[in-house]
Amino acid sequence: MNTIQFLMDGFGIAFQWQNILFAFVGVLIGTAVGVLPGIGPMSGVALLIPVTATLTAGLPTEAAAASSIILLAGVYYGAMYGGSTTSILLNTPGESSSVVTTLDGYQMAKQGRAGSALSIAAIGSFAAGIISLIGLVLLAEPLSNVALQFGPAEYFSLMLLGLAAVSGLAGKSMTKALMMTVFGLMLGTIGIDAVSGIARFTYDIPVLYSGLEFLTIAVGLFALGEVFKTVLERDHEDGTMAKIGRILPTRKDLKESAAPIMRGSFLGFFIGVLPGAGATLASFFSYIGEKKFSKTPEQFGKGAIAGVAGPEAANNAASGGAMIPLLTLGIPGSGTTAILMGALIMYNIQPGPLLFDDHPEVAWGLIASMFVGNLMLLVLNMPLVKVFAKIIQTPKKYLLPIIIAISFFGVYAVQYTTFDLYLLLACGVLGYLLTRNDFPVAPLVLALVLGPMIENNMRRALTISNGDFSTFVTNPISLALLIVAAAWLLVPLLLKLKGRSVVLNEEG
Amino acid sequence: MLKKIFSVSMAGVLALSLAACSSGGNTTASEAKYPERGITIVAPSGAGGGWDLTARSIAKTMSATKLIEEPITVENKPGGGGAVYMAEYATKEAENDYMMLVKSPPILINNNKAEGNSPYGYKDTTPLAQLTRDYGAIVVREDSKFQTLTDVLEAIKADPTAVTLAGGSAPGSMDHLVGILPAFEYGIDPKAVKYVSYDGGGEAVAALLGDNADVIATDASTIAEYVKSGDVRVLAVSSPERLEGELSEVPTFMEEGIDAEFTIWRGIFGPKNMSDNAKEYWSTKLEEMSKTEEWKQELEQNGWQSEYKDAAGFEEYLQTQEKVIVELLTALDMQK
Repeated sequence: MNTIQFLMDGFGIAFQWQNILFAFVGVLIGTAVGVLPGIGPMSGVALLIPVTATLTAGLPTEAAAASSIILLAGVYYGAMYGGSTTSILLNTPGESSSVVTTLDGYQMAKQGRAGSALSIAAIGSFAAGIISLIGLVLLAEPLSNVALQFGPAEYFSLMLLGLAAVSGLAGKSMTKALMMTVFGLMLGTIGIDAVSGIARFTYDIPVLYSGLEFLTIAVGLFALGEVFKTVLERDHEDGTMAKIGRILPTRKDLKESAAPIMRGSFLGFFIGVLPGAGATLASFFSYIGEKKFSKTPEQFGKGAIAGVAGPEAANNAASGGAMIPLLTLGIPGSGTTAILMGALIMYNIQPGPLLFDDHPEVAWGLIASMFVGNLMLLVLNMPLVKVFAKIIQTPKKYLLPIIIAISFFGVYAVQYTTFDLYLLLACGVLGYLLTRNDFPVAPLVLALVLGPMIENNMRRALTISNGDFSTFVTNPISLALLIVAAAWLLVPLLLKLKGRSVVLNEEG
Repeated sequence: MLKKIFSVSMAGVLALSLAACSSGGNTTASEAKYPERGITIVAPSGAGGGWDLTARSIAKTMSATKLIEEPITVENKPGGGGAVYMAEYATKEAENDYMMLVKSPPILINNNKAEGNSPYGYKDTTPLAQLTRDYGAIVVREDSKFQTLTDVLEAIKADPTAVTLAGGSAPGSMDHLVGILPAFEYGIDPKAVKYVSYDGGGEAVAALLGDNADVIATDASTIAEYVKSGDVRVLAVSSPERLEGELSEVPTFMEEGIDAEFTIWRGIFGPKNMSDNAKEYWSTKLEEMSKTEEWKQELEQNGWQSEYKDAAGFEEYLQTQEKVIVELLTALDMQK
């Protein structure tokens, strides 16, 4: 009962005219930030902090804090909505969490279903936003305790499950997918090892100390790879790019997306709650899961709408889930939430165990405003779909330079080094060569994210247990995750041995 | 995006002011006149971190109080924990009086550790002033069996495998050194201490609360909230004297019989071959700034403690701190 009362008070704050305005400006900027590659939610929020501080200068501290966090959080989840747009239309992921959306989203766009893809992404994001908010209201307290129980051993097993599921990203050949996975894991070892402090494969080049930037590699492999393909193979298919049929998804699309959106929302929410796991993993897990659940897995990678709906719901729900450790524990689960936390501290409001007691108006005002903001985003994004979808009808000779410019600008805005521009180019060439020879690049990208996490958590767990490997199986959550991972790999094999005809891997 | 717009407009202002200068035609006065154009302060990290916030606070205060009339731009140059930009700063910008740099103990640590080494240290810059300070804290869970720092050290001494120490940064960096320092001074082989590094202080606190670490080393300023909520206890802080506020009951390392202290300072540096003119200018302006109300407000907003040291005092301090760090890294077998 109490919760409802607090939430109502929160809505009272969220519906103050200036806060409605702040939420609107926040989600609007967030959408722009999401659409432009490179300016991710993190730099977007960081750069807006001084602006909001000036805007709210006249208000009393508490109200000023509530208003500015409403705007900044709006940028954060608004960017999650917008991130899918360039992935679908240009094969250029704007944020790491929308990398996986390129796989089917871009294919859909090629078939003239860009409108459906964009609107299902918006609808999925909206549904996920609302589901994760309800979760935030009801489960914040118990879930924050569960998240704390996730130690290094549990994280290791969770990541291992992710890696075991990498087969879901395979193209024609499982072997090639595995090769790419290993390659991604190897690239992930570059940099100063976080556990021992030893520099690996850096050759005393300082720019390598912090490792290779994930987004640079993803944009290079996906976006520039596609550009090189078009240029080198003289793929002047200006006329063949299918016309955009309809803007709204068909009844069939909606039916096919409903379940993936629900699954993606729940999955994303729970992964988001775990500090450090984040939206990128949630979207990958959702994609892999949907392919497994699907009755027509062979459609994935060729424009399956479930492959857009699930991951988009998951990455949005993850941003809602990530608010739980931030607000209840004062532990930011990602770079962006760390900056949101910094913004709250600026107003002398410390997120943490005491936030809901000491500053209920800030905490509940924020939560209530997120309901309002999500509704705004849906209303804002649906008409935009029509505008954005036009982009894809731009002739190739104009579109390609734009993609190249956006990729370079975006990568430089994140990294500020020319090294990353060279890396971007190299990845573009690599992406072209790999795709042409049927090496799937998605497993490489996933392994690059998972590799360091698997390794660090495994070594942390082993340091704690003094080198005893049994820590991974004596720990119940970890054991359960390991069993699922093993089942994922073994069950299809066993079924096949028994002579049952199962699709081991979707060859072709 | 805003930053881009901002820097474009800055460039416009700059061009105008340059044009104004050249029309004056007093080229001989260039020696005496500083600054005659906009100044850049570099935070060698991404937006939002401690260095970035410090750089922005300096720029903001200097402009708000009109101490420096010329525009000050803050630039982010992330990479290699600050090492990437350090190399550029010590070489390409060594003569550039218009580039300042914000740094903290890693300028000493990175220069002296073997792995991920930065060949350039504070001697390749002109230290201008120390502005803020923070301290390390040794923290346990509320229900921990450890009551004092000595309890922890005794337990480690008896069986190093039984106690897990965690921190928010890699071995050979600040949290690790803060945690290892008391053990080292207590006569424990620092290499035997079981240290687990996490990505940032927040994750380290999560590990402590979730019972995945017995003790953590972290910043004193960020832990106060968890003390207030009763989730953790702070056993000792690395300051020379007791802190004010929430942690006023907490003994220092010294009080616990450990002859050591560790300050997490933040300061501002100029280029190596800074002209005397520019150095004097900054020394005066920084000292004036540290006394303004606006600066005090910035400190309070960010939860920083003020500690001002002028150029001479700062350089002397850096020398002694470097010794402590080299000694620790040597004991850890991690020195260059």
